[in-house]
Amino acid sequence: MDFFPIWLSLRVALSATALTLLTGVPIAWVLARKRFLGRNALEAVVVLPLVLPPTVLGYYLLVAIGYRGPVGRALASIGLELAFTPGAAVLAACVGSIALVIKSAQAGFESVDAQLEQAARTLGRSEWSVFWSVTLPLAWRSVLAGTVLAFCRALGEFGITLMVAGNIPGRTQTLPLAIYDRVQANQMGEANALALVAVGIVVVLLFGLSRLARLRY
Amino acid sequence: MRHSLSLGLALVCGFALGAGSTGAADPAPLTVFAASDLTFAFKEIAPHFEKATGARVTLVFGSTGNFAHQIRQGGPADVFFAADQSFVDALIAEGVALRETRTLYAQGRIVLVTARAFGAKLTELRGLLDPRVRHIAIANPAHAPYGRAAEQALRKAGLWEALRPKLVFGENIRHALQFVQTGAVEAGIVARSVTDVPEVDWVPIDAAMHAPLDQAAVVVRRSARPELGLAFIQFVNGPEGRPIMKRYGFLLPGEF
Repeated sequence: MDFFPIWLSLRVALSATALTLLTGVPIAWVLARKRFLGRNALEAVVVLPLVLPPTVLGYYLLVAIGYRGPVGRALASIGLELAFTPGAAVLAACVGSIALVIKSAQAGFESVDAQLEQAARTLGRSEWSVFWSVTLPLAWRSVLAGTVLAFCRALGEFGITLMVAGNIPGRTQTLPLAIYDRVQANQMGEANALALVAVGIVVVLLFGLSRLARLRY
Repeated sequence: MRHSLSLGLALVCGFALGAGSTGAADPAPLTVFAASDLTFAFKEIAPHFEKATGARVTLVFGSTGNFAHQIRQGGPADVFFAADQSFVDALIAEGVALRETRTLYAQGRIVLVTARAFGAKLTELRGLLDPRVRHIAIANPAHAPYGRAAEQALRKAGLWEALRPKLVFGENIRHALQFVQTGAVEAGIVARSVTDVPEVDWVPIDAAMHAPLDQAAVVVRRSARPELGLAFIQFVNGPEGRPIMKRYGFLLPGEF
């Protein structure tokens, strides 16, 4: 069996989850705590990737990051090519999954009593410190739940990846693409084995996380 | 809490950065974007080409329309084998593919397939009217060349309107055939080149029933090794490629 897609998918999904956490949690916090012009528009944009069909989204993304697209040209000027690389697969997984982190974390932050944060501020804590010592510890379960969903979505991402990263064996063929490819080639045995691996990864992950959650509280 | 979270995040980020640096050092193989009707034939031909030239070949199978979009945006194909020549001509007109490498490499054939699970084997298109045939799979005629040919054949046979309520569209012919392979759909019209699977029986459909499925290949302008790409196109139509293509039911240059 070809192990490359498994390895690639694990790396892509982990990278994407890290990136969605880094960008999604601040966005979620802003949406939960700030009132500003265009906030509703931002909320809509955030869930857009869940609404648009993945291949359509992938097509738009490809037009943007392709070597003739605006982002693609900007990247090319600093010597980077993103489309059809593993990096594009990471981008695809991020776009497909970030809404899950944002919406979960936002709900978590909104459920934190603002008076507790206010109390921390009166005790001289900075905003940064309030977030780390009050808001996040109270909302971490929501953030974790969103992160798990995002990781699973990233691991299973298909449509966007197919468009922006291609389905290139040994380079950008992730686990879902490899399964699809085997089915197309009528190699059902290998397709089933790879599907089983995908399920196995998620089962192990969820088991591990529930253990972790129990250890903490 | 805060420290363990930051530590976890840092660990994952380290992994993320590592992921970005893979694959770059690989000596680039010849990348072939090929229409999905070529899946079985090309999986046989590619190893012969690798042996003959010493080059490595990466085969990517998918929808001709998708590939055309990707090649426009810099998709890393060296050669593009389309299921329909119009896509190749569009890329040439846009300056993305090399006109002098354009080659008609095959003509596709469509066949009538019946699921073995159905019991009886259909031998003519009229058999699709049988009420026991509840669904008929074809590739989506809106964008799949073989789907268009299937529609033309059904129209020419005067069956299109009558059969329309039974039609199920696959994204491509492999997808259409899968409907039949699972037994969920009793019959279908797909490419001859993909029907060598145990779950179906097939009979050819007269080529006069549809416009010719002229399939063209072309070398992509951005390819770093256009000669090798052209060599692959010629190999498919050469003494080693021809018998394999023929076995999968393609008509070859000189035969049409």
